[in-house]
Amino acid sequence: MPNHLIILFVLLPMAAGILTILMHRWPRVQRATGLVFLTANVGVALVALTTVYHGVDPSGKVRVGGILVSQMGNWPAPFGITVAVDTLSAVMLAIESIVCLAVFIYCISQLPNRFSGGYFYSLYHLLIFGVQWSFITGDLFNLFVAFEIMLMASYAMFCVGTTRDQMRQAYKYILLNLVGSTLFVSCVGLLYGQLGTLNMADITRIAMTPGALPPTAVPVIAMLLIVFGLKAAIFPVWHWLPDTYHTLPGAIGGLFAGLLTKVGAYVLIRVFVMIFGMSEAVTEVISPVILVAAGVTMFVGVLGAVSMHTVRRILSIHIISQIGYMIMGIGIAITLGVTTESKELAVAGAIFFIIHNMVVKCCLFLCGGLMAEHAGSDDLQKIGGLLCRAPWLAALFLIAAMSLAGLPPLSGFFGKWVLLYEGFRGGFYVVSGFAIATSLLTLFSMLKIWSYGFWSPPAGDHVTAPEVRPRTGGGILGICILVAVAMSMGLGARSYLNVSLAAAKSLVNPAPYVSAVLGPEHVPNSRLVRSNGAGGEPIISRMVDITPKSKPKSLTP
Amino acid sequence: MTVLTPIMVGVIFAVSVYLILGRELKSVCMGMFLLGHGANLVIIASSTSPVGKLPPVLETTLDLSRLVDPLPHALILTAIVIGFAVQAFLLTLLVLTWRRGRTLELNDLAVQEH
Repeated sequence: MPNHLIILFVLLPMAAGILTILMHRWPRVQRATGLVFLTANVGVALVALTTVYHGVDPSGKVRVGGILVSQMGNWPAPFGITVAVDTLSAVMLAIESIVCLAVFIYCISQLPNRFSGGYFYSLYHLLIFGVQWSFITGDLFNLFVAFEIMLMASYAMFCVGTTRDQMRQAYKYILLNLVGSTLFVSCVGLLYGQLGTLNMADITRIAMTPGALPPTAVPVIAMLLIVFGLKAAIFPVWHWLPDTYHTLPGAIGGLFAGLLTKVGAYVLIRVFVMIFGMSEAVTEVISPVILVAAGVTMFVGVLGAVSMHTVRRILSIHIISQIGYMIMGIGIAITLGVTTESKELAVAGAIFFIIHNMVVKCCLFLCGGLMAEHAGSDDLQKIGGLLCRAPWLAALFLIAAMSLAGLPPLSGFFGKWVLLYEGFRGGFYVVSGFAIATSLLTLFSMLKIWSYGFWSPPAGDHVTAPEVRPRTGGGILGICILVAVAMSMGLGARSYLNVSLAAAKSLVNPAPYVSAVLGPEHVPNSRLVRSNGAGGEPIISRMVDITPKSKPKSLTP
Repeated sequence: MTVLTPIMVGVIFAVSVYLILGRELKSVCMGMFLLGHGANLVIIASSTSPVGKLPPVLETTLDLSRLVDPLPHALILTAIVIGFAVQAFLLTLLVLTWRRGRTLELNDLAVQEH
């Protein structure tokens, strides 16, 4: 796959979004267009993943660390806009594109009529546009812009066809995320003032060079932890999530649960493992905070889930609990004194857990949506007996639920196993203990949905009335795709773990990434370290490096 | 300039936090708009004092360290455009809320919920 084609990850959803705005009068055409573009998106993502994972393109040319890099407008790296796909980005893109396609198929058949007309599908594509841009960008300011696009689409989706209750919850979601974004853009400004660059590879280079990171940058980086923690819903800043997600219909809830918080977790890995992972000044401050937050996040989240009585509320709070496992991996990986091998395994566990969770969590939300259609409600005290009524749905739900709880042949087990193995081996007994307790309670809360919703005798008006037969064909197809991916992750865990491990290796040792983006002479510890631009200088004083050929023509004397 | 900007940022942040903590949606939205402007000032502060510097027009003979750093200004332009979109969205949402509930008080929205 040629380097420049990675911009397709941005162009495809953007084109689909704009085209569907033009077609807003014809929902059928919108759906067909969406299907075409999303299928193409899956194709491109899979090609990118194979290219990056093998580190070779079909012409046989080996790339540096298997990283596809493209500089927009051909401006050299720290000055222009960099987009880069390394193994982590590629594996996230592949799974994310499959989730988007499956949810889209589900939306076509299950979405209530008040959503499906007009601009809903445009928002869907624009959301994907923001998500994919944040996966491929190599620049902190562009990450902010990508977040804004993604969040703006999600704000609008929150408000499409809302009731008054949803309106109130939507305000909570919108305002908290706006405050988070403002904090983010302030952090970006302060970081630029400290480091003189916003390019991720360039910041990595500064963080890798001993003594180059100014000590005053550390508080700004700690502020970034709050910003991304808010997006990912980790412990002290998670309270916006359980109040808002349960108001969404199953399809949109599934999309948000599968993508939005996982983008936050992805950025946490990117920033704190890759960019600042080599800088001891940063990690000695951040790693205890992340480990404590991980333990509390997973445990409090699952306690909330055990106490809830509606399917969507249980699943919403579960999102938080699962985020805990992901950041536990990050916390272990950036603790001082952990061996490189352990770091790689911990990050690989976290990555595996993120991709597993994207699929399974989304799948459970979709199942919850179908349960509500069959039973007329998703309050566990009012429904029951769905096992006879919708046996296929029951089977799919059981697989996804057991996978989330982490029973051995299914996908959740392997992510947890790697994380717990590293947790106990590295002496992180408390957080690992919490992880095991959380796992048991997860199983308990999933069995609660199973036994009340599916296994108990039928209850409620809707279930007992035999004439109500909702059409769920497309919905089941969407769920089937996700369950198939989840099962392949469990039964073929070895290959998924190998890909995660390859991604983790390039994060724990970011030298190939820096070399691919900035050029090999910029990697610290190589013989050709440059003295200029060690941090703190504004970017204009480094413009001397730009050769005249890359200067815009109008400016040449 | 180097003393004044942080003070301005502090005042703007304080005022906007006061507005956001109110129970009235109009004031909350105004607070959000103001917070965005505060963030823009933070970015402009990172371009350091422009006193005695030249506009950033690239010419090969010039000493580059005497030019004003143009990048923060480019960042602010983008941030302003995004802030503009956010403002338009929030104002639309206010109108929608008013049409649905005939109220802009958060407490009233909460009462009508049940």
